[in-house]
Amino acid sequence: MGKDIFEVGINLAKVAVIFLMMIQAVPLLVWLERRGSAFIQNRLGPNRVGPLGLLQLLADAVKFIFKEQFIPGNAAKFLFLAAPVVALIPAALAFTAIPLSIPIQVEAFEMLGKSWGPYTFQFQGVKMDSGIIYILAVSSLGAYGLLLAGWASANKYSLMGALRASAQMISYELGLGLSIVGILMIYGTFDLNAMIDMQKGPLQFSFLGSEYVIPFLPNWGIFYQPLGALLFFICNFAESNRLPFDLPESEGELVAGFHTEYGGFKMLMFFMGEYGHMMVGAGLVTTFYLGGYLIPGLTEDTVRTLIATEVGAGTVANLLTALVFHVSFIVKLALLLWIFIWVRWTLPRFRYDTLMNLGWKTLLPWTLANAAITAIVLYFARGI
Amino acid sequence: MDIYPIVFHFFAALVTISALGVVLMPSPIYSALCLALTMLFLSGLFFILDAQFLAAVQLMVYAGAVVVLFVMVLMLFDLRNENQPFSGNWRVNLSKLGVIALGFILIALPCTYLMKASNSEWLQSRGLETKKLAELLFSKHIFAFEVVGALLTVVLIGAIALAKAKGGTHARTE
Repeated sequence: MGKDIFEVGINLAKVAVIFLMMIQAVPLLVWLERRGSAFIQNRLGPNRVGPLGLLQLLADAVKFIFKEQFIPGNAAKFLFLAAPVVALIPAALAFTAIPLSIPIQVEAFEMLGKSWGPYTFQFQGVKMDSGIIYILAVSSLGAYGLLLAGWASANKYSLMGALRASAQMISYELGLGLSIVGILMIYGTFDLNAMIDMQKGPLQFSFLGSEYVIPFLPNWGIFYQPLGALLFFICNFAESNRLPFDLPESEGELVAGFHTEYGGFKMLMFFMGEYGHMMVGAGLVTTFYLGGYLIPGLTEDTVRTLIATEVGAGTVANLLTALVFHVSFIVKLALLLWIFIWVRWTLPRFRYDTLMNLGWKTLLPWTLANAAITAIVLYFARGI
Repeated sequence: MDIYPIVFHFFAALVTISALGVVLMPSPIYSALCLALTMLFLSGLFFILDAQFLAAVQLMVYAGAVVVLFVMVLMLFDLRNENQPFSGNWRVNLSKLGVIALGFILIALPCTYLMKASNSEWLQSRGLETKKLAELLFSKHIFAFEVVGALLTVVLIGAIALAKAKGGTHARTE
C-alpha cells in the first residue's frame, strides 16, 4: 500500500479514479454505439439534444436514475437486487490490474512543514506479479451475474437467457484461456508490466541461432502470435456477450433475455458490466499484442527529455510523460472498442448450436494447435 | 502491526460462515451460491499465503466453472418441493449441526497436529512461485500429474458414453 499517509492516500484514490474512468467511459461508448450504428445503417441516430447529440447521455442518465424501481411479484427479491451488482464487480475488479501507462516518479517535496517522497506510483489500480491469472480468475465469475438475474426474475425468457449465458461463457472461457498460452510461452511471465517492457523497440527475434531485426515494425506480440490474437479477440466477444454472440439476450426469441425484468439503474448496471468486459478484453488485447501503452518509434526517455525542455525536469514532466503514454493506450483501446461496436452492427447473430459448434469444434482445436505449434517452434528456435 | 492475522481471521470466518450456509440454507440454489462464496473466500486464503496461482485456479475452476454448472442445473428444476427436505425442523437442523461439529473434530484435530509437525517445512514453501510450481509438477510429480490427466479424460469419455446410451439430446438415432 505505501510507507506513509501520502502514498497510501494516493494509491487508494487511484483505485477509485480508475473505477470511475471505466464507469464514465460507458456513456461515451453508448453514444458511440448509437451514433455509429446509425451511420452504419444510413440513419442519423440521436442528434437532437446538445451538440452531436452528446447531451443525450445526460438525459439518459437522468432517466435511468428516476425510473420507477420495479420488482416482479414472484421474484427472489434478494438475488434480484444482487444480480446487477454481481454483474458489474468482476469487470471492475479485472480492469484494475491492467497497466494504463508508465509509472510516475514523484520527486521529494515539502508540504505542511514536512518533507515527503520520493515516490513511484504505478499508473494502474494494483500492480500484480500474476496479473493475467488474476484477470482470468476474476472475469470467470462474470457468469454469476447473468445466472442470478435470470433465475431470480421468475420469468421463463430470463431463465433461458441465463442458461444460454452461462453455457456460452463457460465454453468460451476454454478458448479464452488457451488462446493466450502461446503468447505467455513467448514472454515467459504472467506479469502484464513485464510483457509490455518486452515489446519495446523494433521487431527483433533470434531464429535458429541468428538474430533478425526489422527496423520499421514495432516489437509487438501480434507479429509473433497473429492467430492467437485473432482467437483471443473472438473469445472476448463471447465473454462480453456481444453480438454476434449475444444469444443470452437475443430479442427475436427471448424478449431481452436475462434482463427482461430489469429497468432503470439496475439495467444500466448490466450495461456497465458488458461494456466493462469489453474494456477489459480490449485492454488485454492491447497489452498482449499491441504493445500496451508503448508508442512505436518513441522511447520513454525521448518523450521525457522533450517535455522537460518545455516545463523543466521534475514531477510535472514525469506526469506529462505518463499522460502522453496513457493517451497512446487510450487510442489503441478506443480503436479496439470501435471494432467491437462495428462488428456488432455488421454481423448477424449465430444460432445457438452453431455458436456451441464454433466454440468447441473450431476455436478449441485452433487454440490448442496454436499452443502446440508455438511450443515446438520455440523449442527449436531458442534451442532450449 | 502485522495485518496478516487480521486478514486471515477475516477470511477464515467468512469461509466458515458460508460453508455453514451451504448446509443450513433452506433452498438448494442458495446452498450452491453459498458454495460459490466458500470457494471465493478460500481463494482469498490461498492468496494471502502467496499462493497466487492456486488462488486463481480455485476461482477459475471451482467458482467459475464447477459451481456455475451446479447452479445452472439447479435452476432447471422446480424447486418448490425441493425446499422441504432441505429446510426441515429444528431437530433436523440440530442433528446437522451435531454432524458438522463431529466432522470438524475428526478432521481438524489431526490436521492441526500434522501442521505443527511439518510447520517449518510449510513455512519454507510459502511464496511458492508459479514457475517453481510448474517445475515441480513437470519433474518430480510428472507421473502423478499425467495419471490424473489420463484419469480425468477417461471419466469425461465415460460420462459422454453413458449419457449417449441413456438417451437425451445427443443420443444416437436408430
